Amino acid sequence: MWQARLSYLLRRFAHGLPIVLAIVVVNFFLVRLAPGDAATVLAGEAGAATAQYMEQIRTQFGLDQPLYVQFLSYMKNILVFDMGYSFRHGRTVASLIFERLWATLLLMGTAMAISTGLGVLLGALAARYDRKPLGFAIVLFAIVSYATPLFWVGLMLIIVFALNLGWFPTSGIATIGADTSGLGYVLDVAHHLVLPALTLSFFYMALYTRLMRASMLETLRMDFVTTARAKGVAEGRVVRRHVLRNAILPVLTMAGVQVSGMLGGSVIVESVFGWPGLGLLAFESLAARDLNLLLGIFFLSSLLVVATNALIDLAYTLVDPRIEFAARSKRNV
Amino acid sequence: MALRTLTRRSWLGLTGAAAVALLAAPGVHATETPRHGGTLIITTTPEPSLITNALSSAPTTAEVATKIFDGLLEYDMDLEPVPSLATSWEVSDDGKAVTFHLREGVRWHDGKPFTSADVQFSLLRVVKEYHPRGPGNLGPITAIDTPDEHTAVVRLAHPYPPMMRELSSLEAPIVPRHVYEGTDYRNNPAVNEPVGTGPFRFVSWEKGNYIELARNEDYWREGRPYLDKLIFRFIADSATRAAAIESGEVHVATFGTINPVEMRRLEGLDNVEIAAGGYEALAPMMLLELNNKQPPLDDKRVRQAIAYALDREFIVDNIWYGFGKPAVGPISSVHEGAGLYTEEGVRRYDVEDRIERANALLDEAGHPRGSDGMRFTIIHDPAPFGEDWRRMGEYIKQALKRVGIGVEIRNRDYPTYVRQVHNEYDFNMTSSWYVGMADPTLGVQRQYWSKNINADVAFNNTARYSNPEADRLWEAAQVEMDPAKRATLFHDLQRILTEDSPNIWLMEMGLVAVQNSKVEDLITSPLGVRGGLYDTWLDQ
Repeated sequence: MWQARLSYLLRRFAHGLPIVLAIVVVNFFLVRLAPGDAATVLAGEAGAATAQYMEQIRTQFGLDQPLYVQFLSYMKNILVFDMGYSFRHGRTVASLIFERLWATLLLMGTAMAISTGLGVLLGALAARYDRKPLGFAIVLFAIVSYATPLFWVGLMLIIVFALNLGWFPTSGIATIGADTSGLGYVLDVAHHLVLPALTLSFFYMALYTRLMRASMLETLRMDFVTTARAKGVAEGRVVRRHVLRNAILPVLTMAGVQVSGMLGGSVIVESVFGWPGLGLLAFESLAARDLNLLLGIFFLSSLLVVATNALIDLAYTLVDPRIEFAARSKRNV
Repeated sequence: MALRTLTRRSWLGLTGAAAVALLAAPGVHATETPRHGGTLIITTTPEPSLITNALSSAPTTAEVATKIFDGLLEYDMDLEPVPSLATSWEVSDDGKAVTFHLREGVRWHDGKPFTSADVQFSLLRVVKEYHPRGPGNLGPITAIDTPDEHTAVVRLAHPYPPMMRELSSLEAPIVPRHVYEGTDYRNNPAVNEPVGTGPFRFVSWEKGNYIELARNEDYWREGRPYLDKLIFRFIADSATRAAAIESGEVHVATFGTINPVEMRRLEGLDNVEIAAGGYEALAPMMLLELNNKQPPLDDKRVRQAIAYALDREFIVDNIWYGFGKPAVGPISSVHEGAGLYTEEGVRRYDVEDRIERANALLDEAGHPRGSDGMRFTIIHDPAPFGEDWRRMGEYIKQALKRVGIGVEIRNRDYPTYVRQVHNEYDFNMTSSWYVGMADPTLGVQRQYWSKNINADVAFNNTARYSNPEADRLWEAAQVEMDPAKRATLFHDLQRILTEDSPNIWLMEMGLVAVQNSKVEDLITSPLGVRGGLYDTWLDQ
């Protein structure tokens, strides 16, 4: 069983490789369609620059090379996972990305956990109390959350919980200047994480709530639920054992799809809360035409999405045994 | 510094009321003694790409680097030079040699002694060659002699008085020769872990988050700096920066990090105030740059008409919430003290009948109103620096409609904007700003000198204004040793430029910072928060 899962996972990763490669190639040319280059931006920031200065920068960045030369050398490097050098930052792309990857993963992971957890819970409750005040309240809450722009939620949370109540800091990932370490540091980061993670969760929580509710309502009408009830299974057990496990599948699918969406959403949240993560880095590198860095982030994001989708597929097999069966029967054909 | 400004004339003028006003002025804490200690947190935007300002003139690079490096000189509020790494200096009679006597016993942050060789290396090999404004500003320097460890003699190709106004840590920081010599400067790791002689030393840089500097225990200014730590925090969202100031998590926000309207709101809070002054040595000027080579703005009368049609008072008060003052010409009135600024004989565009004049000029230029009341349409590219600039664009559209000029607004992202407007000259009218610097030769000349038209290099005479008479005056002002004659050259330039109206000068910007009330002595020099901040302290 586990062997089958492992080989399935490996096959999924192998299928993902051409996709990632295609993404890398398309991105390489896509980002170069934007007018202006890194030298233009640096010179613009400088306020004034000389022609020699621009020349020096372009030579240093390799921008004076023909496009196909730039492309070939980029592809050669990417195949050995060398994402290149960011001349703007004077660092390798890998060091810049990995330094900030954990902040984004922490934010996304927490938001993912909050939104799926609360979404499933609220959706289940809304279905259970359908056409009752609690059900209506949850649906209303979900619609409002779904329709509210992320940055606005973020700013409102800052005003209420950071400025008016003073419970949380307005921004940042840790208190600067306070030399905390160990548990103190973990608590400090957790304290800073609350508002941004909540903000990022809102939209997806609303999504999962609505999805879960619809899926629950549908499952509750299924014959096997009626059968279970007829057998005299207690209502709580019917919901937990029979309905929930079936109803959760669409939420799982959606969660996989949303990983890429969340990377986008994290740009806004990271920007509003001054969270030093990848989303912000991507945004800044686009504005600065720091193409190596931007491509590096795209590359890593595509890896992340492909990997997550494979893992989600694997998770199906845990939740729903039928899927494993389907995969096996297909191989027998 | 306060004493310096109390000349005989101001003593006589110091009436009782003025004396009371002086005592009550905010920021004057004559009775309070500065306290040591504390961490000052400054927010600025955008995060710099490097923090050695000898290699870049990006504003936020300089904000950080000026704490780490010293210059040969600093400047008082009248922009006159005062000692820093140089304790005294003499200019030779022919104006072609300047001897600097250097401070003894100064050490770099790594413990090595500072000598005249560092000065020679920094000015000649680094700033002159690598600073974007270096080749222009230090161009006349041919050699620097170092007769001993504490004397540096700067040799000039011709007399060059403006040089004495550009030797601050902002424009010409002194960097350590032993760290850079023989390396590729831009890729030297020290660029982002700088070693200087300044009041603060570099500790760490968490990209996307903050830069931490700590007190230089060995600083040559006895007992300074007062602060233990100085931290620059980077927060991407302007509303969040305002919230961080409001909550006290951040003590100082530099100009441009918070919207003017938010600044006025924060000012009303008990714990926040506006730090007045601190940009005099920059002389920042906001303007509209016009495409002088393309119809219809190649016609002087059309440019003048637009200049008449805009209400500068309105722009200052309603778009920028009073953070500035209406501009008259290309040279800022901060140079009035040095006698370089004049309003005499310059064409004024803020006259009572300005709308009538604008209409008359447009009729005369052969642009009659059509059946819909409009004469022609131009494109306006607001500078991509934020929503205030876009709002100013909307005002300009409204104002020009009154004289029959249609305006189409084009909003672009920064690199696209630079490429299209400043490299390809594919534009009619764009908003922008430049720093006039402590002397017009250093900052203003490059915008109007025809030899500075260069499509490859953005932000240099984008208007492509070319007038042989103006060129002659700029070049004469570079070498003129007599201050009075030099002032006359600049006065003539102001008359010529306001008449030709190659650009439209809107506002002398007030680059003020927002600060927490417990921050004391934040602004003590004409560089303000771009100075060393060694006098700044926290009242906790």
